[in-house]
Amino acid sequence: MAHNFRTDLWVDWCPGCGDFGILAALQQTMIELNKKPEDFAIFSGIGCSAKTPHYINAPGMHTLHGRVIPFATGIKLANPNLTVIADGGDGDLLSIGAGHFVAAGRRNVDMTIIIHNNGVYGLTKGQASPTMPRGEKTKGLQRPNIMDSLNPVALALSVGYTFVARAFSFDVKNTKDIIMKAVKHRGTSIIDLLQPCPTYNDVNTKEWYEKRVYYLDKDPSWDPVVKEATSEAVEQKFIQAIQKSLEWGDRIPLGVIYQNDLVPSFDARIAEHIKNYLEVPPSESPIVNAEGQPIARMEKIFIDRLIRR
Amino acid sequence: MPMVDIDLIIGGPQGGGIDSAAQIVIRAFSIGGYEAYGIREYYSNIKGRHSYFHVRVKETAVRSLRYPVDLLVCLDSESPFVHMEDVTVKSTILYDEDLVNTKLEQVLTMEPETKKHVMDKLRAGGYETTIAGAVKYMKDKGAVPYPVSFRNLVVAALGPNKPPARYANTLGASLAMALVGLPAEFTMRGIESVFGKKKEVVEDNEMIVKAGYEFVKTHNHTMVKELPLRPAKDRYILTGNEAIGIGKVIGGLKLQTYYPITPAADESFFLEGHDYFETSAGEEMDKENDVLKHTGVVVVQAEDEIAAIAMAISGAMTGTRTSTGTSGPGFSLMAEALGYAGNNEIPVVVTLYQRGGPSTGLPTRNSQADLMFAINAGHGEFIKIVYSSGDVPEAIEDAVRVFNYAEKFQVPVVHILDKNLANSFFLVDEIDYSKIKIERWKVPQNTENFERFKFTDDGISPMGFFGKNIMWITGDEHSELGHITEDPETRDAMMTKRMKKAQTILREIPEKEQVELIGEPNADITLLSWGSNKGVITSVFEQLKAEGVKANLVYVKLMSPFPSDLVSKYLSKAKLIIDLESNYTAQLATLVKQNCGIDIENFILKYNGRHTTDDEVYEGIKRIIEKRDSRVVMVRGA
Repeated sequence: MAHNFRTDLWVDWCPGCGDFGILAALQQTMIELNKKPEDFAIFSGIGCSAKTPHYINAPGMHTLHGRVIPFATGIKLANPNLTVIADGGDGDLLSIGAGHFVAAGRRNVDMTIIIHNNGVYGLTKGQASPTMPRGEKTKGLQRPNIMDSLNPVALALSVGYTFVARAFSFDVKNTKDIIMKAVKHRGTSIIDLLQPCPTYNDVNTKEWYEKRVYYLDKDPSWDPVVKEATSEAVEQKFIQAIQKSLEWGDRIPLGVIYQNDLVPSFDARIAEHIKNYLEVPPSESPIVNAEGQPIARMEKIFIDRLIRR
Repeated sequence: MPMVDIDLIIGGPQGGGIDSAAQIVIRAFSIGGYEAYGIREYYSNIKGRHSYFHVRVKETAVRSLRYPVDLLVCLDSESPFVHMEDVTVKSTILYDEDLVNTKLEQVLTMEPETKKHVMDKLRAGGYETTIAGAVKYMKDKGAVPYPVSFRNLVVAALGPNKPPARYANTLGASLAMALVGLPAEFTMRGIESVFGKKKEVVEDNEMIVKAGYEFVKTHNHTMVKELPLRPAKDRYILTGNEAIGIGKVIGGLKLQTYYPITPAADESFFLEGHDYFETSAGEEMDKENDVLKHTGVVVVQAEDEIAAIAMAISGAMTGTRTSTGTSGPGFSLMAEALGYAGNNEIPVVVTLYQRGGPSTGLPTRNSQADLMFAINAGHGEFIKIVYSSGDVPEAIEDAVRVFNYAEKFQVPVVHILDKNLANSFFLVDEIDYSKIKIERWKVPQNTENFERFKFTDDGISPMGFFGKNIMWITGDEHSELGHITEDPETRDAMMTKRMKKAQTILREIPEKEQVELIGEPNADITLLSWGSNKGVITSVFEQLKAEGVKANLVYVKLMSPFPSDLVSKYLSKAKLIIDLESNYTAQLATLVKQNCGIDIENFILKYNGRHTTDDEVYEGIKRIIEKRDSRVVMVRGA
C-alpha cells in the first residue's frame, strides 16, 4: 500500500477547524510528489497549527514559538536534498517570529512556508493575531482589537520572497495545487493560507470567506510569473502583485500572486564558493578516517597563520 | 637560567594598526626562536579610542603577562597618561616627542573619569598635566624616557608624501624591537610575514624598520644588548577565537551559524575565510570520488542569536556537526532553544565567549561571570554539558572534544571561554593528530516505528537523523516515538531517562578531561580556578616554588554535570584553598559549595574587565597567606 502520510494519532483540533483542510492538502501533495517519507522534513512552530507534523507520517519537528523558519532553514542548509515545509501560525510567523519572516525573504532558501492565518491565537483562547484588523471584535476578545493588522502578502513581497500565494483551507483541492507549486518552486515560497477558527474567530468564518474569495487563475490574462531577470520585468510583476495584495474585504484573491524563479536560491549561492556543496552536502560530508582521526588538517587549511622559521 | 623575560605594552588609537604591530612583534620573536604571548585590550569603538597590546617574550613557554612592563611604547597621546602606573625602575618609555606639550584636557579620546583619575594623581605629585608631566612622573619612579620624533623619522625614511600616522605602528614596533635587541632581520621578516603579498606596504615598512633600528643605534640606550639567537621552528600564531575555529574544523564542523557580537564574531569571521578546503582524505581517493577531496563549512550570518541556535539545532538533526558562537547578550537569547535541544537530546555546540556584563556591560572586556548562567540557562530541568577551556592548545583540542561529547551523550554543549582567551595570541605547534579522536554516536538503525527516544539504562537512545529515519521531535514532553504526551508515567520515565545522562557523562568522560590537578601533589596552598587564569596561576607557581612555597591548582574543565567526587577528592587534601576567578561572586567556589559541600574561605577576584597578571596574583596569594586577607580584589590594567 502506498504511504498515505497519516499517523495513527487522534487529530485534536476543534471540529470545523481550518487546519484539517491544510493537513489534508499537505498529505495529498506529499503523496503526489511520489517521494520517500524520509525525503521530507515537516516543521512547525507553536500553537494549534504546530501539531501538524505529528499528524504527518514523515520526519517532523515541532519547534519553538516563532522559530519555525530558522529551524526549517537549518535543516535545509545541512541537507539541501530534503523537501522542507514549514507550518506556522499567523502569530508565530508575523509577530513573535516576524524578524525571521523578514530574513527568510532575503535568503531564498528552497523551502515552503505556510501561514496558518486565522486572525487569532487559538491555543491561548483567542487573542488577536497580527492579521486581525483594528476594531474587529471576535468573541474571544474583551474589547475590539486595538492594533492594526499587517498585510502578510505585501510584507512577503517587500522583503523579497520569490513565490507568494494565497489559498483557502476549505478548498482542499486548490490548496493542494498551490502547495504543490510552492514546493516545486526553487526558493522560499510563502502561502498565506486563510483558515477559519470556528472557536474563537466568529467574524472571519468559513461562510464569510466563501462569499468573498475568488481564483486569480480563472482570469486567463493573470500571469504572476517573472519571465526575465530585468528590473523592468521584475518591477511590473511586483507592482501587479502589490496591487493584488491590497485587495481585501468584498473580494479576496486566491492563487499565485507573484513568482520569480530567476533569483538564485540560497543553496546555489553557497555552492558558488563551496563548490561541491550540493553533491556532498554537509550531512553527507565525511569528517573522519578509518582510524577515527580527523581528515581536516591545519597545514592544508590554516597556512596563513603559520610563521615559517 | 632563563634570562630573557621582556614585557612590553604598545598603546595607540583603535584603528591605528595596533593589531598589526602586535602581529609583527610576535611573529618576529617567533622567527628569532623565542616564545611570546600577548593580549589585546580595546574599547567598544571603531576608531580613535585607546587600545593596547600587552606582550611578553621569553625563551621558555610563556602563558601570562606581568606588570610593571619593561617597555612602554606610546603611539598616541593617551598612552603616557593611562599607563603611568605600568612602569617601574629601568622601564623604557618610548614616546613621540612632538606631543610632549599635549595637555591632558586636550586628549579627547580619554573618558572623563579616567582623565580625572590621572589629573588627580599628577596634581597630587605636583606634576604638569601634560605628556611631559606624565613622562616626568614615570621618570621619577625610575623609568627611562626615550623620546622620538615619529614624524621626523617617517619623513626621513619615506619622504614627505606619506602620512606619518599610518606608519606609527610599524615604527613603534621597530623601535621597540631595536630597543630590546632583536636583530633587524627578524623584524623585517615579521613585517613580511604580516603584510605578505602587499609589496608596496612591505617595502615602505622595511624602510621604517631600517630607520627605527638606525635611530636606536645612534641614540644609545642602556637596554640595548643584542638578544642571542635561538633555534626556531615553524609555529602557528593563533588567537583563542582562531583556535576554536580550527578545532571545530578539525572536529568536523560543517555548519556554523552566528549573529555578530564581540568577542565571538571573530571566530565565525575567521571560519568564513577558511570555509572551503582540501582534506587529507583526498590522498586515498580515486578519480570517481574526486568530489569528496574538498569539503567546506557553511557559515551563516543569521538574523539574530535565536535564529543562529535554531539553525544549528535542526542542522545537527541531519547528522551534521553544527555549532554557533556568541557572547553573553546573545547567549541570553539562546536560552529557550537550549532547553529545546536538551529536551530533544540534540548534539549542538554553543561556544560562549564571556565578556563583562550585566546587560551590554563591558562589551570588549574580560569576564568569567556567566558560569552560573551557562549552567542554568534554559527553563525546566535538563542535562547539558558546560565545558571550559583556558588556553589556545586546550581550545583546539577541546573544540573537537565537545563535538564528541555532544554526539556521544546526545546533549547540547556550552563551550565556555572568555574574552582574554579569545583575544590573546599564542604560538603553537602543529597538532599531534594521533592524539585527536573523533567519536560519533551509536549507529542509527532504520526501522519501522523508530524510537528516537527509546528508554535505555544509560539514558542514551539510538540516534536518528532527518533524511534517514522517520521520527518526530517536539519541545513538548514526548513518547519514545517523539509524539506529544502528557501521560504522567511516560513523563516520569522520560525525565529519568534524560537526567540519567548526568551519571553517564561523569562515568564516561575520562577524569583528566574533567578536572586537572596541576602542580605539586602535596602543596602548601591549592588554587581553585578555571578558564584563562590557568596560565597566570601556573606562571606564579614557578615564582612561589623559587621561594620554597609548594602550590597546586585544581583546574576545573567540566562545569556541568559537576564532577563533585573528583573535585572533593582533590580539595579534601588541600591545606589552604584559594579560589581565583574573574568575577565578583566567586561562581566556581559557589558551585563547589553547592556540589561538594566544601566551604572555600579565600578569594582572589577580578571584575574590572582587564587581564589578570602575574604580579597581582602573586600579591593576592601573599596577602592571603601572610596577612590573612580573605578576599583580594585585583585591579590592575588600563
